[in-house]
Amino acid sequence: MFDWATAAPAIAAAFLASVVEVVEAFTIVLVVATLRGWRPALLGTGAALVVLAVIVVALGPLLTLIPISALQLVIGTLLLLFGMGWLRKACLRSAGVIALHDETAAFASETTALGVEMQGSTAPQDWIAGLAAFKAVLLEGLEVAFIVVAVGAGRGLLWPAAIGALAACVAVLVVGAALHRPLARVPENALKFGVGIMLSAFGVFWTGEGLGVEWPGADLALLPLGALFLGTGLLAVRLARKEALA
Amino acid sequence: MTILRDVAAELWKMFLADARLSFSILVLVGLTAIASGFSALLAGVLLVIGMPVVLIAVVVRAARS
Repeated sequence: MFDWATAAPAIAAAFLASVVEVVEAFTIVLVVATLRGWRPALLGTGAALVVLAVIVVALGPLLTLIPISALQLVIGTLLLLFGMGWLRKACLRSAGVIALHDETAAFASETTALGVEMQGSTAPQDWIAGLAAFKAVLLEGLEVAFIVVAVGAGRGLLWPAAIGALAACVAVLVVGAALHRPLARVPENALKFGVGIMLSAFGVFWTGEGLGVEWPGADLALLPLGALFLGTGLLAVRLARKEALA
Repeated sequence: MTILRDVAAELWKMFLADARLSFSILVLVGLTAIASGFSALLAGVLLVIGMPVVLIAVVVRAARS
C-alpha cells in the first residue's frame, strides 16, 4: 500500500499533464472521425495505445535494473528539462508574449492539412486518416508515458501515476464523445502552468535525491518546492509582461 | 520512417525545445553534481536557488527578444 502524501502529487501531476496531452490528441482523432468516420480514427488510436503499452511494459522492468540514485538523477534531470520547458512556455503565454493554444484553430488547420494530404495521395484514404490518428495518439502519448514513468518510478508509484493518466484519458474521451467537438474550453495554459510547477518540483526533488541531498521533511519537501516554483512562475509572468510592454 | 522521424522530433521537442533553457539546466545539474562531492547541503541549495533563477532569466530574455 502506498503513502497518500507521496502518491497524491504523482497522481495529480500524471492526471493534469495527461489532460493537456489527451485533449490535443483528441482534436486530431476528431478530425479523422469527421473526415473519414470513427472506424479509422478508433483503429489508429487503438494501434497507438498498443504501441505505447508495449513501450511502457518493456521499459518498466528495465528501470528496476538501474541503481536507484542513478535513476533518480536521470529522471530528475529529464523532469527539469520537460517541466521547466512547459513552465517557460506557460509563463510566456500568460504574459501575452506568445499566443495561447487554440484547440478550435488547431482543429480547423488539422482538418485542412489532412484533407490536402488525402487528396494528394494514392494510398487508401482510410489508411491515411488512420495513420494520422495513430501518429497523434502515439506522439502525445509518448509525453504521457514519460510523465507516468518519471513521476512514478522513483518511489514505486508507477501504477498510481498510470491510473491518474488513465483517468484523464477516460475523462477527456467521455466529455469529447458527448460534445463531439474540440475541447476548446479546457484551460490549457493554466493546466500547463500547474503541471510545469509540479514537474519542476519533482525534478529538483529527484535530482537532489540522486545526488545524496536529504530534503527536510522527506517527501513533504515537494510542497515547499511546488510553492517555490509557483512563486517563481508568477514573478516570471510579471517580469515578462513588463519586458514585453517596454 | 516518417513516424520514426516524427517520434525523434517529438522527443527532441519534449526535452530540448529551448536550447538556452536546456543548456542552463544541464550546466546547473553538472555544477550541483560537483558540489555534492563536497556537501549535500550545498548541492541542495544550488538546486533550490539555481533552477528558479534559470527560469526567470530565460522567460525574461524570451520576452525581451
